[in-house]
Amino acid sequence: MKKNRPFIILSLFILLLFSSCLGLFLGSVFLSPGEVIRALFSGNRDMAYTLVTTVRIPRVAGGLFAGMGLACAGVILQGVMNNSLASPNTIGVNSGSGFAVMLAMMLFPSLPRLVPAFAFSGALLTTLFIFLLAYLADSSRTTIILAGITVSSFFNAGINTIKLLDSELSINLTSFMAGSLSGLTVNKLVLPCLGILTAFVLSLFLAGSLNVLGLGEDIARSLGMRVALVRFILLALASLMAGCVVSYAGLLSFVGLIVPHICRQLFGNDARFLLPCCGLLGGSFVLLGDLLGRTLFSPYELPAGILLAFVGGPFFLYLLLKKKGGRRVNA
Amino acid sequence: MLEYRHVSVSCQRTPILQDISISFPEGKITALIGPNGCGKTTLLQCLNGVSHVTKGNIYLKGKDYLKLSPKERARNLAFLPQVRTVIPSLPVKTLVEHGRFPYLGFARKKTQKDIALVQKAMESARVAQYADQYADTLSGGIRQRVFFAMVLAQDCDILVLDEPSTYLDLPGQREFLSMIGGLKSQGKTIILTLHNLNHALQISDYLAVMGDRKIAAFGTPKECLGQHVIEDIFDTSWKKFQDEEGVYYFFS
Repeated sequence: MKKNRPFIILSLFILLLFSSCLGLFLGSVFLSPGEVIRALFSGNRDMAYTLVTTVRIPRVAGGLFAGMGLACAGVILQGVMNNSLASPNTIGVNSGSGFAVMLAMMLFPSLPRLVPAFAFSGALLTTLFIFLLAYLADSSRTTIILAGITVSSFFNAGINTIKLLDSELSINLTSFMAGSLSGLTVNKLVLPCLGILTAFVLSLFLAGSLNVLGLGEDIARSLGMRVALVRFILLALASLMAGCVVSYAGLLSFVGLIVPHICRQLFGNDARFLLPCCGLLGGSFVLLGDLLGRTLFSPYELPAGILLAFVGGPFFLYLLLKKKGGRRVNA
Repeated sequence: MLEYRHVSVSCQRTPILQDISISFPEGKITALIGPNGCGKTTLLQCLNGVSHVTKGNIYLKGKDYLKLSPKERARNLAFLPQVRTVIPSLPVKTLVEHGRFPYLGFARKKTQKDIALVQKAMESARVAQYADQYADTLSGGIRQRVFFAMVLAQDCDILVLDEPSTYLDLPGQREFLSMIGGLKSQGKTIILTLHNLNHALQISDYLAVMGDRKIAAFGTPKECLGQHVIEDIFDTSWKKFQDEEGVYYFFS
């Protein structure tokens, strides 16, 4: 396994590159590959140029970072909570963040730059709440997930209430709740993507600590780790990633749960390797989901989140059943 | 020398340990024995921060141990907690490398010394042949040795082992006891809890007999047996047998 690592990373990278290219070349308006390339490099300000730079590039970048952020946030949450069912979605972080996004849009409609900050704060508060519940009450893994579902429903109710109260809110609720990449602009993306990238790089530095945490709190302490501090930093990084994604893509479910699991099944549990793999695979996963969503029923468009659930769900079940008795997930 | 002075531990206002004073002689094996629930594990866990000392102090070579930074503690004293329930799906070598955690900086770059110590630790714990296998696919006894190797890789003068021989079968236990003896001859101080009284009497230089949150007796095995404290604490009686290979005790 270890010797194959560069090869695996390279393959995943090529997959991501391939998905990104597909995302650039395909879309509801037909452009030949030649036209796309010309739009990218010739600098002619024609229709193809506008389409590629204002629609397709933001969309591809958004999908790439969304997948990367959610998948890595999933790995971190699973590691810190020592719970293989944890993910931004299952423990309610996405919903908490989504609620904060709606709140920001309702209270400060003229300040769209506030949205990512609200999204991050919402994510962090929800994460800490769930974590304290898990830690202080010494709750079982199932309890955490139940608490997460409850918190999710609570915040989803909040999201719906805000939308009903403020009918002028410029947001498509269905797309937001399912998670969608339509209508992204470069402006909307810059801040969240920077956030995701920063958190991703920092989390790579903490991957070794994440591994040590996986051995159990007592061993981590015995090895001289400041457990509370490291946990807090990791949770904050996961919240930053999840919150940034929610701020522009809505509540993309599933990616944060199944991409880490797929990677664990295929590549083992070493976080130093798992995090980059998840980042790369998560990106491809969302890009391909989005691509299917906007081409399958063209000119209609399905939100990426719906496609991911349709395609990812069965694939995940297949992996679960096939690998039964194989290498266990670190639960 | 590691010394507890008037250490008390309470958990949610329930006292678990009260006014414990004990010092563990350097370069010797000290075994903590006592019935279940008497506070052996809590006593040891003061050392890795899982139990919080509510009163009293712990001194390591004259320094206030509890004021050392976590990493500094882990460079002086290696702690192997009780039975592991969560076995990570990691290659043995990666797991053993975690023993170097207290020495690594932020970038976690391993030096030649780190690599050599990990290899040596795996060889001493006899797990080198499993280096590339995943820890969760190994048997209980080998897993225990893997964790033991991790603690050895920490390269500390003091080793604290909480129930280290639990998962081992008879040959495994024998092997383990000889390994402990080997470590002692390298000058290491070893503090451990053992359930098997025979083992405790065989390998330890000193026994700390615990009963009801206190140290009931401290001394060489001979002294402890002489004071009849083991009978009282464990509510048992013993007979001594001797042959050319050594002395055995039979507890009933």
